[in-house]
This record gives sequence, C-alpha cells and structure tokens, in this order.
Amino acid sequence: MVQAGSKKSSVSKINTKAGISSLIIFVVLLLAWIAGFSSRLFAVIRFESIIHEFDPWFNYRATAYMVKHGFYNFLNWFDERAWYPLGRIVGGTVYPGLMLTSGSIHYILHLLHINVHIRDVCVFLAPVFSGLTAISTYFLTKELWSAGAGLFAACFIAIVPGYISRSVAGSYDNEGIAIFALQFTYFLWIKSVKTGSVFWAVAASLSYFYMVSAWGGYVFIINLIPLHVFVLLLMGRYSNRLFTSYTTFYILGLIFSMQIPFVGFQPIRTSEHMAAGGVFALLFAVGVLKYMQSMMSKSEFKSLVVFGGLISAAVVFLGVVLLTYAGYVAPWSGRFYSLWDTGYAKIHIPIIASVSEHQPTTWFSFFFDLHILVATFPAGLWYTIKNINDERVFVVLYALSAVYFAGVMVRLMLTLTPVVCILSGIAFSGLLELFLREDDSSRGEDSEEEEQSTPSKRLYDKAGKVPKMKHEQSRDTDNIGPNLRSIVTVVILLLLMLFAVHCTWVTSNAYSSPSIVLASYGSDGTRQILDDFREAYFWLSQNTADDARIMSWWDYGYQIAGMANRTTLVDNNTWNNSHIALVGKAMSSNESAAYEIMTALDVDYVLVIFGGVIGYSGDDINKFLWMVRIAEGEHPKDIRESDYFTEHGEFRVDAEGSPTLLNCLMYKLSYYRFGELKLDYRSPAGFDRTRNAVIGHKDFQLTYLEEAYTTEHWLVRVYRVKKPDEFNRPRIPIANRIVKSSNYITKKNIKRKKGTIKNKPLVVKGKRLSSKQ
Amino acid sequence: MEQFFTLPYFILEVPHMKIKKPSWVKQPSAMTMFSIVLASYFLVTGGIIYDVIVEPPSVGSTTDEHGHSRPVAFMPYRVNGQYIMEGLASSFLFSMGGLGFIVLDHIHNTNTPKLNRLLITAVGFICVTVSFFTTWIFMRMKLPGYLQS
Repeated sequence: MVQAGSKKSSVSKINTKAGISSLIIFVVLLLAWIAGFSSRLFAVIRFESIIHEFDPWFNYRATAYMVKHGFYNFLNWFDERAWYPLGRIVGGTVYPGLMLTSGSIHYILHLLHINVHIRDVCVFLAPVFSGLTAISTYFLTKELWSAGAGLFAACFIAIVPGYISRSVAGSYDNEGIAIFALQFTYFLWIKSVKTGSVFWAVAASLSYFYMVSAWGGYVFIINLIPLHVFVLLLMGRYSNRLFTSYTTFYILGLIFSMQIPFVGFQPIRTSEHMAAGGVFALLFAVGVLKYMQSMMSKSEFKSLVVFGGLISAAVVFLGVVLLTYAGYVAPWSGRFYSLWDTGYAKIHIPIIASVSEHQPTTWFSFFFDLHILVATFPAGLWYTIKNINDERVFVVLYALSAVYFAGVMVRLMLTLTPVVCILSGIAFSGLLELFLREDDSSRGEDSEEEEQSTPSKRLYDKAGKVPKMKHEQSRDTDNIGPNLRSIVTVVILLLLMLFAVHCTWVTSNAYSSPSIVLASYGSDGTRQILDDFREAYFWLSQNTADDARIMSWWDYGYQIAGMANRTTLVDNNTWNNSHIALVGKAMSSNESAAYEIMTALDVDYVLVIFGGVIGYSGDDINKFLWMVRIAEGEHPKDIRESDYFTEHGEFRVDAEGSPTLLNCLMYKLSYYRFGELKLDYRSPAGFDRTRNAVIGHKDFQLTYLEEAYTTEHWLVRVYRVKKPDEFNRPRIPIANRIVKSSNYITKKNIKRKKGTIKNKPLVVKGKRLSSKQ
Repeated sequence: MEQFFTLPYFILEVPHMKIKKPSWVKQPSAMTMFSIVLASYFLVTGGIIYDVIVEPPSVGSTTDEHGHSRPVAFMPYRVNGQYIMEGLASSFLFSMGGLGFIVLDHIHNTNTPKLNRLLITAVGFICVTVSFFTTWIFMRMKLPGYLQS
C-alpha cells in the first residue's frame, strides 16, 4: 500500500500532498527496517555468523533436519539422541512455525539459485523479521491513533533493547518471529473490530494461526482478545461489528490452532483457553438478549434476564467445574499458575525458578530495556484513556496485562516492549503536535494528520540535525510562548537522540554476545577470543564413539546435540523433571553413589563447565544449588539442600565449606587437578577466580572416572566414566605380567614435530634459507 | 412465547423488593482509571514483585576499610538484583517523568492564562529533565561504565 502510494506520487501530480506523505511513510519505514537490521549485526561483525546460546541450537538443528529430510519426515522425527534412554518425539513437541519460516525462505532462495546455507538463513531471520515487526507496529498504531504516532512507534520498536535482546542476528528463537505475528494479529483484530467485516476477522485468525505455530505465547492473544471483548461488553459497547469479528475470529482461530500437533486438543481442554470460550458464549447471550429486547416489553425482558441469566451462569459454571473435576479440562499448568501466584514457582517448580530469565524484574531491567519510553508510557496511556474508544480499550488492556507480566518475569519484558513503543509513539506524536503547531499555524491550516506525520518523522530520524532546528525556530520568536515551545521541542528531540545512543550502547554491550564464543578485553584493548565450548564439542565429535552418551547439566544439552552430535541425557526442553532430577542427584552425590546412577543411565562421558580459571561466572558450580534443589524435589531422602551449606548458611567452596559439598561429584569434576594449578604469582595454587577463594579440597583422585579432555582455559572439562573392569582390576605382581610387544611406531617423527610449532618456516635441505633464519 | 418465560413464576412467587444498584457502582471516570493504572505502574516498575518474591533488605550495608558499616543504597553490578528503596526511588522518577509529559500536554488548553501556561510548561519540563538525568545517575551507580566503553 505504501509502496503503491509512493509510486503514484512520482507519476501523477494530482494529489501531491498525499503522495509526499506516503513517500515519507515509506522512507521512514524503510529506514527503520535498515536501522533495526543493522543494529542487530554486532555479533556477526564481532564474531562470525554463528547461532547463539542454547535454545537456538535446537531450532537450528531441527531446521537443518527439516531442510535435509523434508517436512513430513520432520513431523515424524523421533530424536533418539536426546533424553536418553527415552528419546523425544520432536514433531509433536515443537512449534514448527520457526523452522517452516526459515525453511521456506531457504527453499525460495534456492529456487532463485541464490545458494545460501541454511545456517545463514537462520542467523539473519530475526533481524529481518524485526523490520516486519516495525511495519506491523506502524499499522497497529495507525489504527489506534494516527500515522505520525505509527511512525514513531515503528522507529522505537526497530531499535528498542527490550526487543533487540531476543532478536539479534544469531539468536534464532521463536520470539524473533512471534513478536511480528503478535503485532500483526493485533492489528488485524483492531481492524476487524473497527470495520466489523468478516474478511479482517478471517485475516486475524490466519495470523493467529501463524502465531500459534510459532510460539507458546499465543496464549496471551487468546486471553487478551476475549478480555477486550468482555470489557467492551461491561462498558456497554456491544455492537454487531464486535459480534461478527469475535465469533469469526474465535471459531476459525480455534480450529486453526488445533492443527498444530504440539497444541492439539489443548484449546478445548485446558483452563488457559477456557476464558475465550466463556466470552464466546457470553457474547451470544448478550446478542440474544439484545435481540429479544427489541421484541418485548420492559418487565418481561427484566424477568427473562434475571431468570435466564442466573440459570445460564449456573449451568456454565457447574459445567466447567464438572469437566475439570472429571479430567476433561486440565487445570492450569504450573508455568501459567506461577504468573498469578508469584511465589508458586519458587516453592513447587524449582526447574522453572532456576532459569534466570524467569526471575522477577527489577527497576533496572525496565530502564535498561526501555530507557525514555518507560516514562512516556504513562503519558501515552493517559492520551488513550482520555480519548477512549473501542480499539483504544484494547491497547489499555494490553498495556496493563503486559506491565504486570513483565513485572513477574524478566522474559516477558518482550511482550511489554511493543505496547510501550505504541504508547510512547502516541505520546511523542501528541506532544510534538502540540509544540510544533504554532510554527505551522503561520503557514496556514493544514490537515491534522499531515502535520503529525511530517514534522515528527523528520525530526526524529535526523536526530543529528537537532541544533539546526533550534536556530530555525528561535530566530523568529519574540514572545515567551514560542521560545519556550522551541526549547521544549529541542529537549524532547535530545531525549530521543539519547534514546538512540542508549539503544545502540545496550545492544552492543549487553545483547550481542553469542555466549558460546566468549571475548575478553585486555587493559590495552586487545581482544582475546575464548573458544573453549566449540573446542570441547569438536573434541567430543571427533574422539568419542558415535553412540556415546554424554551427561551434563541440562543447559548444555542442545549445544552438545547441535555441535557435537552426541546423545544427551537431558536438555533445555525440560519436559521430564524426574530425569533432570536424576542427573542432578548424580552431580550432587559422592562419587560411588553417582557411579551407580551413571551406570544405570549408561553414561559414557560427563561434561562440566568450570569457570574458575578465567572467572566465568555462569559455570556449573554457581548453578550447583539448583541441581541440588531439583534433585531434592524428587529424592528428598538422599539429597538435602542444607547439607551443602556451612553452619552459617553459606555456600562456599574453600576449606570451610561443608564436607558434603567438597566430596560431591560436581565439585570433584570441576576441581580435579586444580589444586596444582597456579594461575599467577600473586595468588596461591588452586585459587578460584570466579568465587575468589582457594579451594578447600585439593589433592584427590578420581576412582570411577578419568579425565578425558580439558579445554585451553579449563572452561569445559570432559571425563570418561570407567567401565567396571577398569577400576576394580586385581593387582598382578610384576613377575606375572605379560607385556605385549607392540609394533607401535611413534608418530612424532622429525617431519611431524616441525608441524607442531605454528608459523615456523619449513626448511628444506639443500635450498636457500629463508630470510628470517 | 410469553408462557415460556413466565412459567417459573407460576411456581415461584416474585418477592416484593427492589434491588437498587448501589450508588458507588458506576463506570469509573477516565481520571480514576488512569490514577489506578499509574499507581500500579509505579509499583511494578519499582520491582515490587521482585521484592515480594526475593525479599531483599530495604537498604544494603557494606563495611569500609575502617570496619564501620555504611549503608549502601544501590546494589552495584547486579543487574537482576535490587534493594527495595532503590526500586521505589527509581520508579518514582519514572512516574515523575511520565507526569511531566502529561503536564506538558495541558498547555493546549486555550483558556488558561499565559502565566499559568508558562508555569505548566516549566513544571513539566523540569519533571522530565530531572527524572531523566537522575535516572541516568542511578544507572551510573548501578552499572559503572554505562555509556562509556
């Protein structure tokens, strides 16, 4: 639409004004897309085109599988390399929208003979979709307020850190495309409520279908839209438009969402979706009553409402209770429940509480992720509440629920960010309209919308021209009003510029680390790349048997499967709590008890992450208490969290630490041979840099395991689990020993030795020496 | 048709009473709604949910080189940790900034005198700038090196 408008303006001069404004809209959206895309590329430029973190590795692996074997094989994929010995039915436990999106992009590009590796499609998917998010945000805000506000909102969401945190290049996760689907569904919903046409409602349910296929957060939509309808009913704003759009959306959305294998029959069987059905019934009841009202006298109608209302409410309520009791409707899941009762997860589900992104949000995150928008958000809300109408009720509800959810979990900051951008766009557009109006009034009365979009956009995008604007405006002002106005305008623009600076800084420093390649900076600014993770995974893929089973904490399951291509016991799809608890128990028991668990689970290798040498804080010892807690949840007789603390209730690894901790498997595997290591001249041997302590238990040997590999910076340590015949072998006297004469020839002959030194020039005898020698 | 919905009243006797809607139940005005929203926004951005779940102390304390314990208002370097007071202080600033923007909007009321308009603008302006720069300072305390490296 925008594109067509801009083309038309260049061709015909009939309506230049509309042409120019749509050209401006087009250019701004394009610039927002480009700015958003390029600010997400820090990680690619600094490191390489690589998949980040944990979950993206699974998504990438699944996508690669789908591209290689086809969609139907992907849906039927039984992954025997995960959750050994259980395996995982991938097709039925995954939201396939992400894989399908990048798979089809890959397919189309290959049809056009643009041969891109699927990894690059995956890496750049989220940045590309951020542009689409900006455009759909523009349309949504335009429906809610005005085109100028829409442009502001689009520019905000393109660079706001709260959204960038989940959509940098390489962060190949569901949220990257889901936020686009979310915004687009809301736009179509608003459009259908406004017009009351079936077309827009069907479009909304199609977009909702895409959202369901992409992210579990679709529950947010299917609760927010009914809430909108419900509040509109309460406010007495029932209309036929509302009836048409909601009934169409609900029925189609219900059927579409049940097509996703992972969702299945959940939409009619779980409590999370029941509100939508209830509102559907209520809407029908209200519709029938409205119809009856037109045919009856007042008293008859009253008795009907009282009688019918009571009966139907009782029937619905009893029905839901009975169905829940009989097990046809599942009660709320724990994850959902923890959103309401905030202490729930901490007590009942340690596996949810252990994830750092499920922690409650502090003030810092709000400011860090939203910056100035956190203050303009109430202003935008004020504008919308002041001039309320049907669709603005929606954005108010969206804002309220999102603020609450963002407070409960850091991760849900992501759903707050779009609405903050919308409302801030409204606020800024309202303010600038106010403060720039006087300048425009001398030029003659323009239409309101024109004014809004034109100046606000120009001023925002060319923030560098701020000083010039100041001179322009303050030159011809003699009374105090315009003078003050221009100062305020300049300050607002300055704030916007600082917002852009903040966003870039945060993106560059906080959100652009791939976290599988670490970088450390020396005092002179030199950069050191720590590539230990990939080193270890590559070692595993080269030096272990193809069916070797590797035990690690669940955080690293996807990475091991994705990079080393080996079987894991637990991974980031934390669906089986007792299996994870078993691994946690093995890690937190002593060596012999752990060996029993490990033989029972057929473990061949154990992988631990140890950050004590380089001071990496996200290592397994720091996560250890969660392992204990999760293990305690399932095996309260064997593992007790209090055993791992000192008498003063401290968790410490030095000599004063509790003996249970100093003898558990995780401690031993992390600190094996560490007591001999002297990191520098000042600190004593065995000094742990992460926890700033000398370790308490230094000289110990491992009975049941042996060290197989330790990476350069000791970040990843791999141990081999010995077979039973290896450690309890009877000692044979020397006289009785039979030594096999081996015809083993050392590979370190002269030629090979040379190759061990890097960059050493090869000297060939009989030829001239090279210049260095 | 009429028999259908008057049927239960053959058995039941309609009690002679009037249920009046209490006078305080009515659709709240826009401003009350907004004040409720702003108050809850103030609490949530201050990390009140964090305070409830994690139960941090209101103000931290540290021991300096002489062995005296000094109060510390901000939990430094900890991005996902806070003390209660710092959260409330900064969310107060956020709300103040928001109110500043709203106050700025009031100047379009054409029937306010010129001096009032000037005052309103000045108040809004000061609110916004003060809240912004104080939050900036808070960020510096929380995260040394903010916007520097």
